Amino acid sequence: MPRSQRRPERRLVWDKVHTRELFVYFREHADEESRDELITMYLNLVKYLASRFRNRGEPIDDLIQVGTIGLIKAIDRFDIDRQVEFTTYATPTIVGELKRHFRDKGWAIKVPRRLQELSFRVNQAVDALTQREQRSPTIIEIAEYLEVTSEEVLEAMETSEAYNFVSLETDRSSDGSDSFSILEYMGEDDQLMALVEDRTTLSEGLKRLAPLEQHVLYLRFFQGLTQTEIAGMLGISQMQVSRLLRRTLRAMREHVFVEEI
Amino acid sequence: MASDRITLIVPARGEYAKTVRMTAAELASRLGMSYDEVDDVRIAAEEAFVYASGCLGEESNVTFAFTVSPGTLEVAVGPMPDHHDGVGPGIPEGYAEFILRSVCDEFEIERSDEGCTLRLCRRAAALVGEPGA
Repeated sequence: MPRSQRRPERRLVWDKVHTRELFVYFREHADEESRDELITMYLNLVKYLASRFRNRGEPIDDLIQVGTIGLIKAIDRFDIDRQVEFTTYATPTIVGELKRHFRDKGWAIKVPRRLQELSFRVNQAVDALTQREQRSPTIIEIAEYLEVTSEEVLEAMETSEAYNFVSLETDRSSDGSDSFSILEYMGEDDQLMALVEDRTTLSEGLKRLAPLEQHVLYLRFFQGLTQTEIAGMLGISQMQVSRLLRRTLRAMREHVFVEEI
Repeated sequence: MASDRITLIVPARGEYAKTVRMTAAELASRLGMSYDEVDDVRIAAEEAFVYASGCLGEESNVTFAFTVSPGTLEVAVGPMPDHHDGVGPGIPEGYAEFILRSVCDEFEIERSDEGCTLRLCRRAAALVGEPGA
């Protein structure tokens, strides 16, 4: 009997292989039991993400319920053929559901359209000024270029990253990052590996990042390149590098260390 | 030339991360740092805040002491309990240290009877208008 014809045995820990088996079985047989098991397996991720919103006056149980809706949506939409870990895929969906909940309740950190537009213009200004001056522009230069205040530029920098998960399409760059794996560049005696006691957790966490995230992380923190240099090398904007870095660092905290928190 | 000191005390809760980032970014911008450098300062401020919050717990406050002098921003974060006893904040010290070292020109963890304090320093690499800036 082929493997996918048999329902995978029940296990309640995050396990990449088992997760994949369940998804395959769920897709091929529309098997509710596999779906339920996936939900149970990833409830801890929901609990962790929900806990990040717990200081906003909503009971944690309600947040877990809302986050679980996000988890179910992620399970139903997850494409197993995409080379993305389920946790990487599910996190923005769950966070999105939680944010929507607050937005519907009127407590969201609403980003005014004016700031959204300014964020877009700052992005363009950084690219234009970097090209013109051949260096990263100062905040004051960006402000003068756009005829706004420095405070508005800084606020736009904040806006641009407010849970701003770069789309999966962006991750599929054509520069060879598709296959980049940071672990191939790191040895056992690597500086970071040496610093972190729990190497397995770190390695697993790094593997969970998308190739482009790993590449940006490697270039910035291991090679010491600036954001401008990375942007030029990968053919993406400086603000995208900034977002990717921040997202990667958050993902490291949220995914890599989640089991320890 | 004299330096200025700015002290920010915020509850050790995630919702104040933006306050910390914005304060650090504003001071970095004031020193004429580039977009790249300001972003590094924001990353440093956030990482230090998350790390300190983990050490201190939600009921506590985190103290950020900024020292601003021409072209240089120094930040002291703490004091906070030294968790070398194995009771960690969930984020290994090595990891936070690695990130902070990467985005700061200088970084050290100062240990005393009061606990530990993170000391960060970032300099504006080049003043605008200088050759090769």
